[in-house]
Amino acid sequence: MSTHTHAPAAVALTKATAEKKYPARMPRHGNAGAYRIIVIGLLAIAVLAPVGLIIYQSFLTAAFFSPRAQFGFDAYRYVFTDRTFYQALGTTTIFAFGMVAIAVPLGGLLAFLITRTDIKGRRLLEVLVLVPMFISSIVLAFGYTVSVGPTGFVSLFVRDLIGIVPWNIYSLPGMILIAGLSHVPHVYLYVSAAMRNLPSDLEEAARTTGASIWQVSRDVTLPMVLPALIFAAALNLLLGFETFGIPLVLGDPNGIMVLTTYIYKLTTLFGTPTYQLMAVVAVVLVLITLPLVWMQRRLLRNARKYAALGGKGSRVATLKLGGSGQLIALSIIGFWLFVSVVLPIGGITVRAFVDAWGEGVNLLDQLTLMNFSRMFEVPSLYNGIVNTIILSVVGGAVAVAIYLAVGLAGHRNWGLSNTVLDYIILLPRALPGLVVGLAFFWVFLFVPLLTPLRPTLVSLFVAYLVVGLSYGLRLLQGTLIQVAPELEESARTTGATIGRTWKDIVIPIVRPGLAGAWALIMIIFLREYATGVYLMGAGTEVIGSLMVSLLQTGAMNTIAALSLISIVLTGAGLALALRLGAKIHD
Amino acid sequence: MTELVVDNVQKWLGGLQILKGASFTAQRGSIVALLGASGSGKTTLLRCVAGLEQPEIGQIVIGGKTALDSDKKIALPPEQRNIGLVFQSYALWPHRTVKENVGYGLKLRGVAQADIEKRVQAILDRMGLGHLADRFPSQLSGGQQQRVAICRALVYEPRVLLLDEPLSNLDAKLREEARYWIRKLILELEICAILVTHDQSEALAVADNILLLQDGRIVQQGGPQEIYSNPNSFYSADFLGANNVVTAKVRSIDGTSAVIGGDDWSLDGTVREAAGLSVSETARAVIRVERISVSDRPEEGGIEMSLDDSVYLGDRWEYRLRRGDFVAKAHGAEQLRTGTVWARIPPESVWVFSAGR
Repeated sequence: MSTHTHAPAAVALTKATAEKKYPARMPRHGNAGAYRIIVIGLLAIAVLAPVGLIIYQSFLTAAFFSPRAQFGFDAYRYVFTDRTFYQALGTTTIFAFGMVAIAVPLGGLLAFLITRTDIKGRRLLEVLVLVPMFISSIVLAFGYTVSVGPTGFVSLFVRDLIGIVPWNIYSLPGMILIAGLSHVPHVYLYVSAAMRNLPSDLEEAARTTGASIWQVSRDVTLPMVLPALIFAAALNLLLGFETFGIPLVLGDPNGIMVLTTYIYKLTTLFGTPTYQLMAVVAVVLVLITLPLVWMQRRLLRNARKYAALGGKGSRVATLKLGGSGQLIALSIIGFWLFVSVVLPIGGITVRAFVDAWGEGVNLLDQLTLMNFSRMFEVPSLYNGIVNTIILSVVGGAVAVAIYLAVGLAGHRNWGLSNTVLDYIILLPRALPGLVVGLAFFWVFLFVPLLTPLRPTLVSLFVAYLVVGLSYGLRLLQGTLIQVAPELEESARTTGATIGRTWKDIVIPIVRPGLAGAWALIMIIFLREYATGVYLMGAGTEVIGSLMVSLLQTGAMNTIAALSLISIVLTGAGLALALRLGAKIHD
Repeated sequence: MTELVVDNVQKWLGGLQILKGASFTAQRGSIVALLGASGSGKTTLLRCVAGLEQPEIGQIVIGGKTALDSDKKIALPPEQRNIGLVFQSYALWPHRTVKENVGYGLKLRGVAQADIEKRVQAILDRMGLGHLADRFPSQLSGGQQQRVAICRALVYEPRVLLLDEPLSNLDAKLREEARYWIRKLILELEICAILVTHDQSEALAVADNILLLQDGRIVQQGGPQEIYSNPNSFYSADFLGANNVVTAKVRSIDGTSAVIGGDDWSLDGTVREAAGLSVSETARAVIRVERISVSDRPEEGGIEMSLDDSVYLGDRWEYRLRRGDFVAKAHGAEQLRTGTVWARIPPESVWVFSAGR
């Protein structure tokens, strides 16, 4: 140890602090300080570099690698005078708030029915309700196209029946409805967690004074879970601003644009990539999402305080629904499940096994496995599937290892470096996958040392790592914090360094949690589609991003087959996660 | 041989000073108890010795090696201090068997595997745990877990053994047994042990030397008998034992003897703390419950009191005595009839202190 080297400075320090209320802290040795600072520093670079590059690019007049590039506000001037931009901004706002207006009440209702009442089949429902969350929204959106789109299976069936199709999903209300329904699980997850922590005697007391179930839920339960509802609303608002898949599939054919699709369209608008314009829109997007993330953080802190007031370990007695109540409740959940799970997945399943469909086509005549055999014939499709599996299974495991390294760096750590870590983890939540992918694409072009890695899966992996950072690290921090501090302290007093303690005590104890985290990260990586849009190249295709580019060509057969494969893979991942005892509920 | 020197250890938490200059030494083959109410800083002091907390000021020398020196900015991490710490919750590693738990310290010290096996088995056998070597901690009873925790802290022969309320998680009967064998073991192995406890009977039964802590300071130290029968402050007197605390006026002071009294009663006592004590001022007296003997017959030097009730406690009776504003408890072997009784209170057992602020 270098205790002698800073002796002179220490003397000065003690003198300076002698007047203060208490003396200077002793230096903390053997607390892996260097490791913590290096890891947190590397992470900061990984997160801040792409963000910095976007900001830098937004102030240039041309692409950053172009010799013509100069500093200037041309890009801002162009974007802020573009009517399409304002339309997209307006649409995004309506879309995000509309989505919240649908998802929050419905998610709250579902959470109430499943956690606070004696509804039948609760165990199964708890898992089923979460399904839409695990499927990428581009797959869901495509599923709606083939089932309830203008020439979808269900639409045609209804038209045969009543002569017209009474809906149009290729419209803003259609998009909002579908996005709202598919984001119900995000609300359910937080509200149900809050509801589980409510002491049920409050509800019982209301019931005994003669209130009906609905009066109880309105007057007692609702106010108690209001913080969770507000948090879920803020989260969904953020997700609404960041959505890409649903507007791309459903809005694009009719020219309805949101900010993310506007960025995407900018690529093709001018024939040449207009990086500076994309960067400006990305900056605008982040300026909207960053306050939302910050607000969520505040809300979460308050919500925790609120939850702490609730009786811990209190028994959750359920409200009796009664016969007709059961029927109504199950119908509500059943209808929602039908619309948001059965319709898209069913549509995809049928579509994947037929060659053509339309009016007067007998589906049975069209049955084929061609769509899948194509997967083996076209190298890009084959690569896409293999790469997706490699990225999620292997990449997921490596990501967990890296999140663990970061988690340990922040484990029982105090001071400035921990505050930095806190904010670094938060930042990626404000970055839509499309923007992260774009930013890393630029990073790999910008840094000469990294350029050889750009056409490899490494570039995708690094971007995925940042996309999954907030969620993955929260999973791991939650697991690490469960190790009782004495277990670590007793290792230290027995003679283990902090590194040995992590290796011999902490990691073995959290191992089951790591397996669960791996399965969940795997699903996150499986469903990711926006991040790869710019990063993917020949040989580094992934399913989700392939679908995005295939949408332009209208290769429905191929998209349907890819969607089904994606769903099957996600299902396998989910089964594995449940099997490994992953804590989906925060 | 002095194994542990703690000198002027001061620790702040936020703006609050929780240790205000604790100093003590501990010898090989003896047990020092850090006794105090919750919040007195005793556990913090122990954790400072272990290196789990970092005091801002002070020196700590363990086995001749400086572990902490605020002047030279030396602060060894826990693993370099060669100590053994037994936690209140035992903190056995749930993923390791008893054998692996106990052997871990030896493994870290690079002892050969065969040697580890032998030494682990030897200490487990000694504690009567030999047959449990392959079990996991969750399969053991509380008492067994505690013994494993002690084995784990002892097997690598640390210079100082630190015990943080090691008995508080055991039930009452086991606890009395455990404090006997812990003391025996430490004396046999001739190690230096520091025990933190809030339980005075535990400290009295186990320790050779008791340090009484109050508000981050060591207010008194001494052997169990010394500290019990010769307290130097009202806090020490009141903290230990079962006591009657009497607030009264000082009638007269003559050197070390004083007379205190109330409306229609007076008691001869001994001055234990002269500062702040003066005639006709208020004073506090501490009388150990067991020092009052009660009789239903008039006795030489006895003070006449009225017995309100006799309460049956199983092994003895508790008498509730009163005379004016003087209320006291005493013990005796038989039930006495309520009414007038005579209580003998020896002057040397009436400890007079100033009333404080």
